[in-house]
Amino acid sequence: MNQHGAVADKLTDEELVQRVQRGDKDAFGVLVKRHERSVYWMIEAILHNQADSEEILQESFLKALQHIGDFRGESRFATWLIRIAINEARMRQRKYRPGQYESLDEEKSEDSDFHPRELSDWRPSPEQEVAQEEVARLLRRAIQSLPEIYRQVFVLRDVQHLSTEETAAALGITIPATKTRLLRARLMAREFLAPHFKSSAQPGRAVL
Amino acid sequence: MIRCEDILREVSELLDDEITAEMRIQIETHLCACRHCKVLVDTTRKTLTLVSSYTVLELPEGVSARLLDRLAKHMESGPSQ
Ligand SMILES: [Zn+2]
Repeated sequence: MNQHGAVADKLTDEELVQRVQRGDKDAFGVLVKRHERSVYWMIEAILHNQADSEEILQESFLKALQHIGDFRGESRFATWLIRIAINEARMRQRKYRPGQYESLDEEKSEDSDFHPRELSDWRPSPEQEVAQEEVARLLRRAIQSLPEIYRQVFVLRDVQHLSTEETAAALGITIPATKTRLLRARLMAREFLAPHFKSSAQPGRAVL
Repeated sequence: MIRCEDILREVSELLDDEITAEMRIQIETHLCACRHCKVLVDTTRKTLTLVSSYTVLELPEGVSARLLDRLAKHMESGPSQ
């Protein structure tokens, strides 16, 4: 797949899909480049393992390619693709850990109160005072520290910027459940980051 | 009157701008008087700003290349699967 250039990069996902459906294989490459990160991290949130996640990433895109003729634009391509990936990842998960998958979907204790512990203010712009790689590493760790059901919602909404409706559809959960999980995920991510960005911390370095 | 628990419940929708104008006014009024909630809202907003301003989630080394490779092989061999 060679670089398709600036023209293809400006097309919407749906226009690219139409090109793929007419046999333009390079257009699929553009879609891959655009979505590989979100798909990979979605899978990784379920499988917690790089080797398996990479394999399922490949399987998911192969499956998307094979079934792209069935895509009718009833949802956004991103949502359709994420659903394929979630499905593939869950099948893999069930194969390795039968019985465990169901318990992850229970909406247990989601309504119980969450009390934020860390409540000192942050430095005005941590991103300007803490080295970029350190911020990126902290953010990654924050995301990985979230329990799976919260991490999925957080990755789709706040990292990939799907809408609440799209996130709910991709995960097969209700909109209220999506919102509840998102709130919890955001508060937990904030709590994870707080000690590192506190205004009392030494300027110039994150506390690691 | 809005209470701290209400702010905790609404913070997400406040940041997504999915609340009514009256609710927003009530929240802003509470935030002026309650430093605790002000810090909660500000730091949560900062969390989201940080998350979206970073390409946080780059792929591990080689994953992207191996993916393209496998897809290219599949395309060459035709839709036999
Ligand atoms: Zn308050």
